[in-house]
Amino acid sequence: MRALFRHALIHHFLEESAQCYPGKVALIHDEKRATYREINEAANQLACWLIKQGVEKGDRVLLIFENSLEYVVSYYGVLKTGAVAVPVSNDIKPEGLKGLLLELDPVLVISSGRFERIIRATDFTKLSIKALVLNTPKFVGHSMSCPTYLWDEIIHEGESFNLDVQIEDSALASIIYTSGSMGQPKGVMLSHKNIVSNTVSICQYLDLSEKDIQMVILPFFYVMGQSLLNTHFAVGGSVVINNKFAFPASVIKQMVDEQVTGFSGVPATYAYLLHRSPLADYRNKLSSLRYCSQAGGHMPMQIKEELRRVLPEHTEIYIMYGATEASARLTYLEPDRLTEKIDSIGRPIPGVSLRIVDTNGLEAPIGKIGEIVANGPNIMKGYWKDDCTTAKVLDGNGYHTGDLGFQDEEGYFYVIGRKDNLMKVGGHRINPQEIEDVLMRSDLIIETAVLGIPDEILGHTLVAVITPKSETCSENNVLSFCAEQLPKYKVPSKAILVRALPKSASGKIDRAKCGELVCARQ
Amino acid sequence: MSVTREKIRDFVVENFLFGESNGLKDETSFLDEGIIDSTGILELVNFCEEEFSISVEDEELVPENLDSINNVVAYLENKITS
Repeated sequence: MRALFRHALIHHFLEESAQCYPGKVALIHDEKRATYREINEAANQLACWLIKQGVEKGDRVLLIFENSLEYVVSYYGVLKTGAVAVPVSNDIKPEGLKGLLLELDPVLVISSGRFERIIRATDFTKLSIKALVLNTPKFVGHSMSCPTYLWDEIIHEGESFNLDVQIEDSALASIIYTSGSMGQPKGVMLSHKNIVSNTVSICQYLDLSEKDIQMVILPFFYVMGQSLLNTHFAVGGSVVINNKFAFPASVIKQMVDEQVTGFSGVPATYAYLLHRSPLADYRNKLSSLRYCSQAGGHMPMQIKEELRRVLPEHTEIYIMYGATEASARLTYLEPDRLTEKIDSIGRPIPGVSLRIVDTNGLEAPIGKIGEIVANGPNIMKGYWKDDCTTAKVLDGNGYHTGDLGFQDEEGYFYVIGRKDNLMKVGGHRINPQEIEDVLMRSDLIIETAVLGIPDEILGHTLVAVITPKSETCSENNVLSFCAEQLPKYKVPSKAILVRALPKSASGKIDRAKCGELVCARQ
Repeated sequence: MSVTREKIRDFVVENFLFGESNGLKDETSFLDEGIIDSTGILELVNFCEEEFSISVEDEELVPENLDSINNVVAYLENKITS
């Protein structure tokens, strides 16, 4: 691995790889293959054009894109100017976009034809947007309330050499919105230093090199997706973009064809791969697959065990833990400890420290449950325009994750659930993750979310939303299993069987939409 | 328009486009245009299995079979006659 400590700014990853491996394919997307030189030159040309438009350091630029070459060029191009890249969820609706625009007051929006309808339905008046850049627009000739430029026209103008904009490493680089799976999305402010330090740590523990080829099915607007891009560009590796994970068979086939070395997903990704794809049939064809990594929430033990059985023996499994507020990563579990410590999230990554803190703010003893608090150069600057929420999670101790957990004698951490998800049922305090884990042990289901529905008498009643493995599985089968395994007060009063649980755009189970589904079936 | 095509179109429009066809063409990619996500694909699969009494195998979950009205219709016609 190259000496990554020399990087001070995020776009230096691209610039140095363009210098060391100019002709190497950095990105593959459908029929497109782009080298480091091509991407860096295009990013420089975009940066020149942005500066000509009056974009200055600290200005926000919105990126509304599916994963694509144009997103990658835009991301690094914006960073090169000292402006702030704000990737937006592909799930955005006109009302949500209007709210974001008001909150962020961006100077420019870069997007593609897929999102043109949403952009055109959004009121741009009373905003300081100087220009809109569109790749492959569909409504050519239709006027907008701000000057509109075509991607192809601006990307071939300007200088293609690296710019010399002086940017501090503490400067704000990106605002990434949390997935909102736990409530309202929040704009997490990350500096160059936050992201660079985390990227370097991840490259170290995954032992990434220029030989690595990463399959990317997670969106770049999600912090884990962005981290996949930065880590592989840092080492001169390659990324393969596949936006069709809904068709997992074609993703696995491409992994074989492109000799992919790494695959990353959230828990639902692996549940889907194991139960709706021919992964097991491809076991002997995935000879290049060095590792699979998982983050983005708790993955039940059964999925980890099944994944270990199905994947080729040489493929290592990395269980990881992090948060948008931590620029992506906080801990990882070494693959060789997976069986022994299957429920653990591992130990802190290089440069990060973690502590378990009790309700009085004191460090909890080994084995005692408390809140996980993290410290390190990767911890965010705060939430965009939300000092009140920032003050609730950032203090002298570090970043309060909102996750409850404990540490064992060897320094390994365990997450038992979210503080926010704890609920009262008839006077008992319930952690839904515990019930979900029991349900997963039944071997009847693919995935589940246990929710507390407000109840006047009990406080909450428990409802399990479930995707069964087989059509023969009934609500009664599920509830009977729970009744055998759990005390009465922890047994859900109802189980709703669905074909698939609703997911957020980042692929995580969307608990709010699960709640809406429950209300609709009441 | 064939009955199969009409049924698929109606299902997609009703379930993913809130009843507004918004210029949905028979060759439009559901995923590229953000019309259907992975959860939606499974709903579409479920609909096809129930409506046309077929079973969609895991290895058949590929864009060539399910990523546009044209692809679904061709896949179903092939599946039903085979």
